Amino acid sequence: MDHELLNGLSPAEIEQVMALGARELVPSGSWLFRLGDPADRIFLLERGRIRLTLPMQLRGGDEEILIEENAPGQTVGWSALIPPHRFTLSARAPLETEVIALPRTALREFFERSPQVAYKMSFNLCIIVGHRLQLVQTMWLREMQRSVQLRSDAGAR
Amino acid sequence: MEMLLMALCISVFGLGVAALAFGAVGRPDPAEPEFHPEVAVRPAIPARFFSDIVLPVKPHPPLVPIEVLLQQIENHVRLEQAAAESFVAFPTQALLHCKTTSALVN
Repeated sequence: MDHELLNGLSPAEIEQVMALGARELVPSGSWLFRLGDPADRIFLLERGRIRLTLPMQLRGGDEEILIEENAPGQTVGWSALIPPHRFTLSARAPLETEVIALPRTALREFFERSPQVAYKMSFNLCIIVGHRLQLVQTMWLREMQRSVQLRSDAGAR
Repeated sequence: MEMLLMALCISVFGLGVAALAFGAVGRPDPAEPEFHPEVAVRPAIPARFFSDIVLPVKPHPPLVPIEVLLQQIENHVRLEQAAAESFVAFPTQALLHCKTTSALVN
């Protein structure tokens, strides 16, 4: 399995990073983490799917709305590496899913010992976060464009 | 002189009578109820003008079940994410503003 967070690392470096983590099985329908929880682990998806959601108020109740669905090879929970280390989304497995959970403290200690790995992984994290930002700003602009269009259409009537 | 005094007396008397009459008119009558604008009796106007004309009732669109709405939102998010992926891969103004087929907004 090629993980986006580990791009560019040598097999030996990948093995060292993987040794810091623990495999976890997330049963179908279970939460991996919830919005607002302390984020002390970052997760590499090995198998299954993870749905990232945010609550939306619909007809007087809160409903979890899909923001993004992640597949094997992708990374979730990067709030663990970014202050204030709180999850800003909820993550749920729609089917049985396997992840590798990397604790922040172990990663930071490893990064101090291996700055070249820290550099590569930080670079990969920048790509992941940057891509998410680009997607979100595009989606935001499209939704804003629709809202403005609706208002001007209503004003013209 | 007597004529002058008589005229003066008549004038003073007349002035007094006029003052009394003016005071009587200006004083509120205790038997008369006080005026309250908020409780003033409204004229008997029918509740509705043109009551024989029935306004057309705009039919409300039927509410879609919440499961259907959630599915529409999810499809919309997936379509919008795909559109955003296309834009990010090859940013052009045309791709940014391309129309969606999402049932949520169409």
